[in-house]
Amino acid sequence: MLNLKNLNIYRGSRIVFSGLNAEIKTSTLTLIKGKNGSGKSTLLRTIAGLTPIEGGEINQNGVNIFHAKEQWVRKLIFIDNKNGLSDELTVRENLLTWVKIKGWDTNKENLVLALESVGMQKYMNFYISQCSDGLKKRAALARLYFSFFNEVDFWLLDEPTNALDHSSYLLLQSLLSKFIKMKGSILIASHDKKSLIKDYDTLDIDKLRNVKTI
Amino acid sequence: MNNKELNWIYLFISHIKRDILINSRSLFDIVSIFGFMLLIIILFPMGIGPIQEKLDIVSNAVLWIGLIIAIIPSLEKMIQRDYTNGWLDQIATSPIPLEIVLLAKSISHWIIVIIPLIITSPIFAILLGLEFNQIPWLILSMSIGGLSICFIGIIGAALILGARRGNVLLPVIILPLIIPILIFGVGVNESIKIGLSPLPNLFLLIAFSLIYLVISPFISAILIRIAISR
Repeated sequence: MLNLKNLNIYRGSRIVFSGLNAEIKTSTLTLIKGKNGSGKSTLLRTIAGLTPIEGGEINQNGVNIFHAKEQWVRKLIFIDNKNGLSDELTVRENLLTWVKIKGWDTNKENLVLALESVGMQKYMNFYISQCSDGLKKRAALARLYFSFFNEVDFWLLDEPTNALDHSSYLLLQSLLSKFIKMKGSILIASHDKKSLIKDYDTLDIDKLRNVKTI
Repeated sequence: MNNKELNWIYLFISHIKRDILINSRSLFDIVSIFGFMLLIIILFPMGIGPIQEKLDIVSNAVLWIGLIIAIIPSLEKMIQRDYTNGWLDQIATSPIPLEIVLLAKSISHWIIVIIPLIITSPIFAILLGLEFNQIPWLILSMSIGGLSICFIGIIGAALILGARRGNVLLPVIILPLIIPILIFGVGVNESIKIGLSPLPNLFLLIAFSLIYLVISPFISAILIRIAISR
């Protein structure tokens, strides 16, 4: 269970959330819904520990995640629309360096399995600068597969279906349901109406939003 | 605990390798830095005229200023690319400390950009008519000075992340910090020229480099955390 208590989040001088309260269940997919610019990505970045909070706290099983930030980031995978891929490296090298900074085991078989899980084995030695947006997204999503060998609790995905074709959409769906079966929790920010899997929770931030107009 | 520390060293080295790999795939950037420095070194004597004594007075300073001006434009790229493509977000959501990554970045920049310039510096020295006994000292002082310019540069590069016209701002921000490096760096070879020991200047150069080594990863990590929180 992830508890968001009385969150205040600012971006510059703009108040994005003030007094936001929400609960995010574990072992489920939670879809963060909201209009463009409503703060979906900001909320996700906050939970990932990238954007600082001005007030309130986020607790996981009663423990404030920012007090044990190193343990918290160890157990999550965050992918947004910037992907975090270097143009000058190949798809495989990008995945390899990412696994290394996570401090995980980098054996060849796992790497190939991860690339296969998103159908990227053919493009393994392509430079990211040669890849289309869809291929880049898939190269980024290949990271998710490493949660099946390592201890990962949370996936934070910002618009993961952007630029994906139908077959990769299906591959992503199977990754998501496999992770849910493994008691993993997924948070997806999306303006997409339809959900990726059948059972899911929604967090409609347009309704939760409680901005006091001063 | 011991295991964890070892792990950090491994991560540090693998991040240096990554940055060198990335830079080696855009070799043109490095060649253009070399070309720029060569241009400065060639143009200067031509501007001064054919009197060797005049050139002797300024040759050390020209070498150092050439080095500094040639590498300043490359400093911004140290973290700009990784900021725009989201790699820094991935670093921030992983257990590796940002400070270690930034230290790795400045050292890999030194290896891939400064070392080639240092290796070719005897050519520059001959072009400016430096005596041969000065060249080892030149190489030594430029290696140390170049490393500290990388440490300073990463602070500047972190400060201008996300700013428009950052490339204009960067030299203005870091030049005051480079001045001590320039003074003591030039001082090393100037003291040989007048027959004194180069060691006092060299030690001061090392002292400044150590100061920058200590502060640079921490300051730039703070600045980057601010930049990615926006």
